[in-house]
Amino acid sequence: MQPGFRRAASLGTVVILAVTAYAVGDELHRDYRFKVGHRPSVSIVNQYGPISVKPANGHHVIVSAILHSDKVEVFQSQSGNRISISSHLLPGSDAESGRVDYEVLVPADASVTLHSATGPLHAERLHGDVILEGNTGRVDVSDVSEGHVHVRTMDGLVTLTNITDGHVEITSVSGNVALKTVTGPFIQVNSSSGKILYDGDFGSGGQYELTSHTGDIEATAPSYASIDVTARSEQGKVESDFALSPSYTSFAVRAGSAFAGTMGKAASSVKLFSFSGRIHLRKR
Amino acid sequence: MTCDEFQRVLPESWGAQSSEEQEHVKSCRSCADLVLDLQAISDTARLLQATDEPSPRVWNSIEIALRREGLIHEARPLRSFVFAWPQRRLAWLMPLTAVLALVFGVLIFERGGRSPGMSSGVETRQSTPGEFTLASAEEEQLLKMVADRAPALRPVFESDLRNVDAYIKDAELSARNNPNDEIAQQSLMNAYEQRAMVYQMALDRSVP
Repeated sequence: MQPGFRRAASLGTVVILAVTAYAVGDELHRDYRFKVGHRPSVSIVNQYGPISVKPANGHHVIVSAILHSDKVEVFQSQSGNRISISSHLLPGSDAESGRVDYEVLVPADASVTLHSATGPLHAERLHGDVILEGNTGRVDVSDVSEGHVHVRTMDGLVTLTNITDGHVEITSVSGNVALKTVTGPFIQVNSSSGKILYDGDFGSGGQYELTSHTGDIEATAPSYASIDVTARSEQGKVESDFALSPSYTSFAVRAGSAFAGTMGKAASSVKLFSFSGRIHLRKR
Repeated sequence: MTCDEFQRVLPESWGAQSSEEQEHVKSCRSCADLVLDLQAISDTARLLQATDEPSPRVWNSIEIALRREGLIHEARPLRSFVFAWPQRRLAWLMPLTAVLALVFGVLIFERGGRSPGMSSGVETRQSTPGEFTLASAEEEQLLKMVADRAPALRPVFESDLRNVDAYIKDAELSARNNPNDEIAQQSLMNAYEQRAMVYQMALDRSVP
């Protein structure tokens, strides 16, 4: 190799390393650790960037934040058992420079409140209440039991998996909502144009209300589901794969626009209402 | 049509209301009551005119007495823009019209035609329970606020606001047509909840 070329290669390597180093240096890493007691409350407000919450043993809340530029800073505070984290955007910041990525470890019984405009938001394996609010980001909640789950989104995709023994309330304007193995005493989904997809057996003794304006509603249940189901769409098609035992309704049941009936012991109440969306109760 | 718009055009269209105005009267109890009150006043006024107009002899006597006192002179043609009453028969209409206008104005005011916080140039509607409310200027202000903070989010908010407004419109119509239908009522609540959520998200988390 000629000396000139060798020098050029060395310089190029230095430049590449410098750029990488600069890129890494541009991201700021922050770690916070809080000692908490039983059932702590953790709130994180992050305009841009993902927030992920997982459980960990012990009585600590550990927050790991990656700031994508110096145009954003993290405020953190603790008042007893209440932890508050927020991303503070500085003038001149935008969705890229103002982004902060949060990875949070909490005790499993913690109550968690997450806000993010762009998300995504993720929470898993918790027993406390989970409140997630996002504008456009995806929202994922899985393996939560005995805690209430509240989700509010504008057009982010919402996915709930294996949620049991708690209240679930979801409000989505245009984001689709998918519930898989979600059961509990009260399950409510309020959607405008987003689709609602439910796949589960509706548990026992619960109240399920899936309503939309124009979004389709599709509920898939096994043949052993025990439900008292009422479905109605003002302008959309309504159909059921099950042969239901007739039950009383306060409105006239018009074939193709509504159905009502029971399966099994009618342990859970299921209401599927839409203004113009299609409703389909599928047999798994 | 909003209540404000209806009450603004009512004096002009009295007795010959458009289908839009008639539709509004059917759907708005407040404006319907106003129309009934005005109709009652109008009916009573006609009775007064027919029964209480003095005979011509009375007018002659009054005129003679006033001329003797020097309080009136020979009639002079009016040259101002104020119109003259060509016939004495219609003279009672002037004070009657004034009374009607006064009563109309009082009724409008008492019924809350001016809501607190309303400013000129802002297109707003009074919202009463169960009445569809679309305030385009208000929403535009909200979207501007969103755009100032996060320009990329404005299209999302705009699209979802339209979405939600359509939901409210349909839900209100359904609830109005089926007042005893609890499903329709619940849909309306859901629709308003969605709108409240969008507003709250737009107003939440300000950027310094």
